[in-house]
Amino acid sequence: MDTFKSLIVILMSSVLINNYVLSRFLGICPFLGVSKKLNQAVGMGIAVIFVMLMATAVTWPIQYYVLDKNDLSYMQTIVFILVIATLVQFIEIFLKKLIPALHKSLGVYLPLITTNCAVLGVTINNISDGYSFLESMVSSLGCGLGFLLAMVLFSGIRSKIDETNIPESIKGLPITLITASFISLAFFGFSGIVDNLFG
Amino acid sequence: MKKDNNLSILLKGILLENPVFVLILGTCPTLATTTTVIGAFSMGLAAAVVLICSNAVISLLRKVIPDTARIPCYIIIIAGFVTLVQMFMQAFLPAIYDLLGVYLALITVNCIILGRAEMFAGKNSVGKSVLDGVGMGIGFTLALLSISTIREILGAGSFAGIEIPFISNYKIEFFVKAPGGLLVYGIMIAVVIKLTKGRAPYKKDFSCAGCPSKGLCNPELCRDRVKEEA
Amino acid sequence: MKNYIKTIVSLTVICAVISALLALGNSITAPIIEKNQASAANESLKVVMPDGEEFQEVDITKYKLPESVSSVFSEKNGGYVFTVEVTGYSSGLIIMCGVDKNGTVTGTLPIASAETLGYENTYGEKLSGATLETIDAVDTISGATKTTAAYKTAVKDSLNAFVIMGGGSVDLRSEEEILNDELSKALPSADGKFTEVFLTENVTHIKALFKADNETGYVAYTLSLDGNNYIATDKDGNVPENSDATVVEISNEIKMLISSKLTEIDITAYQNMPAQIQKAYKTNNGNFVFELRAAGYGINGGNQWHPASGEYIYIKASASADGKIIAVKTLSQKESEGIGDACADKKFYSQFDGKTEENYGEIDAISGATITTNGYKTAISKIFEAIKILKGEV
Repeated sequence: MDTFKSLIVILMSSVLINNYVLSRFLGICPFLGVSKKLNQAVGMGIAVIFVMLMATAVTWPIQYYVLDKNDLSYMQTIVFILVIATLVQFIEIFLKKLIPALHKSLGVYLPLITTNCAVLGVTINNISDGYSFLESMVSSLGCGLGFLLAMVLFSGIRSKIDETNIPESIKGLPITLITASFISLAFFGFSGIVDNLFG
Repeated sequence: MKKDNNLSILLKGILLENPVFVLILGTCPTLATTTTVIGAFSMGLAAAVVLICSNAVISLLRKVIPDTARIPCYIIIIAGFVTLVQMFMQAFLPAIYDLLGVYLALITVNCIILGRAEMFAGKNSVGKSVLDGVGMGIGFTLALLSISTIREILGAGSFAGIEIPFISNYKIEFFVKAPGGLLVYGIMIAVVIKLTKGRAPYKKDFSCAGCPSKGLCNPELCRDRVKEEA
Repeated sequence: MKNYIKTIVSLTVICAVISALLALGNSITAPIIEKNQASAANESLKVVMPDGEEFQEVDITKYKLPESVSSVFSEKNGGYVFTVEVTGYSSGLIIMCGVDKNGTVTGTLPIASAETLGYENTYGEKLSGATLETIDAVDTISGATKTTAAYKTAVKDSLNAFVIMGGGSVDLRSEEEILNDELSKALPSADGKFTEVFLTENVTHIKALFKADNETGYVAYTLSLDGNNYIATDKDGNVPENSDATVVEISNEIKMLISSKLTEIDITAYQNMPAQIQKAYKTNNGNFVFELRAAGYGINGGNQWHPASGEYIYIKASASADGKIIAVKTLSQKESEGIGDACADKKFYSQFDGKTEENYGEIDAISGATITTNGYKTAISKIFEAIKILKGEV
């Protein structure tokens, strides 16, 4: 029961409080770039969740059973980014051969994810937070869900912004960032929720 | 492209093609590490060192690296330099290493570095690539410094950790929190647009066309998307 | 094909060169990083041992330390710093505790806890300067008994570990384990499983009686014999022939106790029987056994921090016909956790043994739980009244 509780706390806090996009600024590039349309936002979000889970499932054992065992933990960054890049390539080839329909909808986003700092960030954070394998998977799921949530929320607002009449200078990127600032402010309201979630 | 002389290569990184305000690259560290001037300055320098080194090495190897394996090679080289910077920072500047945390490792996926490798170092001589790295590095550091100065003064009432009398009594904590970063960054880009009369940002919006990672993508899909966006 | 080979070769070469560079970088920086981290760790060690110099981590796998001790640092002058993790009010409490070469606590530092906030810090100060001899005398803080008791246990474990590290030995067993070990020594055939028998008759030698769960015999605890406090018998209470006279007396007492039969008395037949008395029984020898309920904090208490449970404390008590309590035991209770629930401890209810109407009040109250203690005492006082009613004296 206690492990279940701690898993829920990890999940909730990574979705709402430490939202990767809105409070840790990881994965801002795709957040600003791909959140223009709802279907793109959902596609990118799901692809990120998928890759985050796969990457965590591979990097966690590598860290503990290969790098730490051989005193090679200083190779963490280089090994993780290579693993993620390779993994993304494999997933792409795999999807293309086996599930072409899914590849068509997610395929565009997959390569972008290699340089998405949220994926490398979540794998490194799972290690530095000392999470167990199960906790790492839950935390990755939470971060991915948080990313999806932020993308979906934002795509809805952006479609409204594009139609509004605003000063020339803040059109485009500036108004996007200012709007993101307000959403981020709204997410501040969640801090404190998780601690009191179970009394 | 008009003929680049060395000075213009150096200067364009600082002004006309400033990676943060004009090219809009490396947004993650721009927002995350600018809560303090010291953090922003260290981040800028660390990224600049990696950028200069990786630009030099990639340019040096540009004839050796086969085109097909170009991106993985770039990533390995960049990640290698990032790890070296991490090691030396942890050894000699442990306080700053702790301050930057995971964002130091994330320089690996900072689009400025891969972007410059792809856009410049892979095509130009070593000397020019180093100059490009220096220019971009200085531009990045200056941009981070300007954002962090505003955020730290307003949000913490201090500059580089030194308290400013009077202002420190009226801290607006919003500015050192996440939303403040987004707001300040947005307003500063707006100011740049106003000052350059709309010529900047170079990259009007995020699209495949302006994406530094486009070399990573499946070229067909990328072309389709560029078409779609157009 | 040529392209493939070129790709693979160039990737491999770059990987190899970068790895070599990193290994070189690591060999330069690793010792410095290690030194930095050690000096950072030293900072927190300095907090619990301000006079300490040069700490070094000790491999604790070769010592048999209390299980709660997770890491040990030795100090140049012969002191040690222990990191100890124990269970308190809710979850784990981790503290660091410094012990100097004389076995005195130099300081403690709570590292992580989910405990009642605030108490740990002030309580830690109380324990500074304590030694293994004096630590038991340090009082816990009422209202945060569990937290402070856990803290005290952690510090005590550190002191015990100190003795062990210095080559000494300490008894790490808990009170229950000591008792069980003694019982098993007296009666090995019981396989270490015993149940305490509730005393219902007047006995002079036996302080407590334990029955083997597999019914192979009994063990009596007595203070009447010098040096041998545990007397084992067979399942009928017999001791070997030609035993010491006192042992035979004990054997007879056991026989009396195990042959004691309870006959229920219909208490509705008696008017004015106090409400606290739920059931009453009479034994073969004319002694009484009562089942009582006491209105403690669960009935009469309750505030915003510790709501009342609405439950009575249920007690079993035996008394001789002339109004002397033989034994008392708390059967069930729902008093405040960490405070009033101490009424279920043998330490509390065994205080009533041997008390009479004149002196039953002379017991130590549970600290921080006045309502519980008063409710309990009131219920016990009704025993004397009930005995008089049953004997027809009222």
